[in-house]
Amino acid sequence: MRKEYTVTYKSENIYDNWVHDAYWQFLIIPLENKTQKLKEFDFSNSLHCINQFSINGFGFNTIKIHPQNKFKHICFEATFKVLKSKKNLPEQTSFAQVESSWKEIGSLEFKIDFEQYLKVTSLTKIPKEKQGLFQFGSNRGIFENLKDLNHWTHSHIAYRSGVTDTTSTLETILKQRTGVCQDFAHLFCAICRQNNIPCRYVAGYLNHESGYLGDSQMHAWVEAYVPSYGWLGLDPTNDVLANMDHIKVCHGKDYNDCSPLKGIVHSLGNHTTTHSVVVKNHQRQIQQ
Amino acid sequence: MSNIENQIFSSYQRNPDLFDEIYDSNGNIKDVYQKLFDIYGGHSIQDYINLNSKAKASFFNQGITFQVYGEDNVQEKIFPFDLFPRIIDQDEWDVIERGSIQRAKALNLFLWDIYHDKKILKDKVVPLELITSSANYLDQMNGLNPPGGIYNHISGTDIIKHKDGQYYVLEDNIRCPSGVSYVICNRTALKRALFGVFNHYQTYTVTDYAENLLEQLESVKPKGVDIPNCVVITPGMYNSAFYEHSYLAKTMGVELVEGRDLFVENDFVYMKTIKGPEKVDVIYRRIDDAFLDPLEFRPDSALGVPGLFAAYKKGNVTLANAPGTGVADDKAVYTYMPEIIKYYLKEEPILNNVHTYHCSRPDELNYVLENISELVVKPVDEAGGYGISIGNRLTPKEIEEVRKQVKENPRKYVAQPIMSLSVHPTYIDDTESFEQRHVDLRTFTILGKDKEFVLKGGLTRVALKKGNLIVNSSQGGGSKDTWVLKK
Repeated sequence: MRKEYTVTYKSENIYDNWVHDAYWQFLIIPLENKTQKLKEFDFSNSLHCINQFSINGFGFNTIKIHPQNKFKHICFEATFKVLKSKKNLPEQTSFAQVESSWKEIGSLEFKIDFEQYLKVTSLTKIPKEKQGLFQFGSNRGIFENLKDLNHWTHSHIAYRSGVTDTTSTLETILKQRTGVCQDFAHLFCAICRQNNIPCRYVAGYLNHESGYLGDSQMHAWVEAYVPSYGWLGLDPTNDVLANMDHIKVCHGKDYNDCSPLKGIVHSLGNHTTTHSVVVKNHQRQIQQ
Repeated sequence: MSNIENQIFSSYQRNPDLFDEIYDSNGNIKDVYQKLFDIYGGHSIQDYINLNSKAKASFFNQGITFQVYGEDNVQEKIFPFDLFPRIIDQDEWDVIERGSIQRAKALNLFLWDIYHDKKILKDKVVPLELITSSANYLDQMNGLNPPGGIYNHISGTDIIKHKDGQYYVLEDNIRCPSGVSYVICNRTALKRALFGVFNHYQTYTVTDYAENLLEQLESVKPKGVDIPNCVVITPGMYNSAFYEHSYLAKTMGVELVEGRDLFVENDFVYMKTIKGPEKVDVIYRRIDDAFLDPLEFRPDSALGVPGLFAAYKKGNVTLANAPGTGVADDKAVYTYMPEIIKYYLKEEPILNNVHTYHCSRPDELNYVLENISELVVKPVDEAGGYGISIGNRLTPKEIEEVRKQVKENPRKYVAQPIMSLSVHPTYIDDTESFEQRHVDLRTFTILGKDKEFVLKGGLTRVALKKGNLIVNSSQGGGSKDTWVLKK
């Protein structure tokens, strides 16, 4: 079974004063992997600057724009045609696997190999008094624990936009118990890592037509490592496993590694930036 | 004690508890110093004062100045210079040189390893926490192969001579070690003031540093480049080491640039010139990792170049030193240096390490907390002598304060026995006479592709305040010309 999507990303920036020098980096191109293919892709901007195809520090594909003339207004528009095929999910963990997978996770070798996704960052730091919020059960498989945590995170926070931003810490989020997708993802990552399971923050696009909650901009979910399976996508905002409705762009330790738009703009005065993302599922389901 | 009666050294008082560099173990002036001693001794104090002020003027006129951060009244100062040089004979130098190269090579292999296979961690030689807890470890460097396989192109090794007559390394500086311009300018100043003394000694030149540095930078050029275009990037004229940045660019014959002089297009780096963009291949960068590229690191950095890191990651430009080297000159990593050298090079360390207590280990923390008065306590991540407390100089109240700080954040501190730095006769303005002052030595080691070089001289820093052990220029230190003698 496959699904074909058209993703349209738009961003508009308006400045009070002339901008003489600017440099933008867009981290918005869907990743190519076994279950996700990028068929077509088009990127344009209102100043007709050349698209520079580049990478970010972690090797994900980016587009960079470096305008040569001064401006006050610039629009970006990108469309991506993406083909998603179904990813097989882990099977229920057998009794023998439970023990061996926990043993693997406890080994020094494992801790070294996955060090990057086991460490605490400023956005995935759980305040002292909230340590031990959710404990993984060592008598159950990691896959089962992850599904429980997904459900727990989903029910622990209520989805509400406008109450947090991309710099909100878990201290704020756990206090108010409301937030948006990146807050769910940060909380999941933090708890997962605290339980010694490597977990990475994922940014991408969500098919809203399936009735899921998520931003009208980009969506965030997580990938946790399941021994003898690999990275498993989970979406705590919607309490589902990420699969055909989740189009991945990149992953990192937290939002800061995955920020879709970074710009170095030299200008005085105020500016406004708006983004929008539309994900359209063409043929509802293509039978292979 | 032959010439002690001569004019200039007549009031020189020798404290027998200190290791004085110019005396041998029998209390006689060392042979290598005798001639120097006679020549200097032939001058009257008044002659010496005149010479000294000439040397000072020479520094001011050349603009060899620095600023100290954190002072209200920031003004340009000259780095105080002492006309009486330090001599290192060939045998001693041989040990220092081999030891400096050994450390630089071991650190380079260590950096390669912790950004690739991490074998040293898996073999439990160095604990994983040392890396994960270091703010200087850059995830972005994971799996990246720097051109020529070199991370620490330039290393500054701080070495002291203890009262046992042995050399010890106090720290390795492999981010942007500074001070080499003083080595060269000290030599020039001494030659201008007292050129005659050089007729009696065969010293190695220090002015070949720039050509060696350039040769090394060119040796690590990106793939596919024939004749690389090298530049030096500086944070700008307000940086304390700006003189050095401009000096090195000038003597290498390359451009000195600031971040705003460069731009990145399609992952290649260009320099803005009046004749249009000019591609840049190798950057000797004197700005810290965090400021290199606002897209990748600190977004508020106005000193860096947007897109620079992507150009580096793609292999289109070389950065020297490589980003992320700071993880290896952390003071906590220093304490594992003997193990690191043995692990990668299968050799015994040539230079000694000072024994270090890790406050992150509970038993060692207890020892430190109980013995603060006999230890030097240092934060692991500060450079320039900031935040160091020397136990026997502290009041009981201050000791309590240090104890509290260490207890609150043990990972942040290490402690070492108080090392007694050797002393060297140094002219003191206030008393108009020579007195013993503590000295250390910073060597400059260059690693290139199949190339290693140690500047034959190095920077001897002098703690000018009486009894002071901290020699950093930001803490009121001066310097001396340092001679390595040919056999």
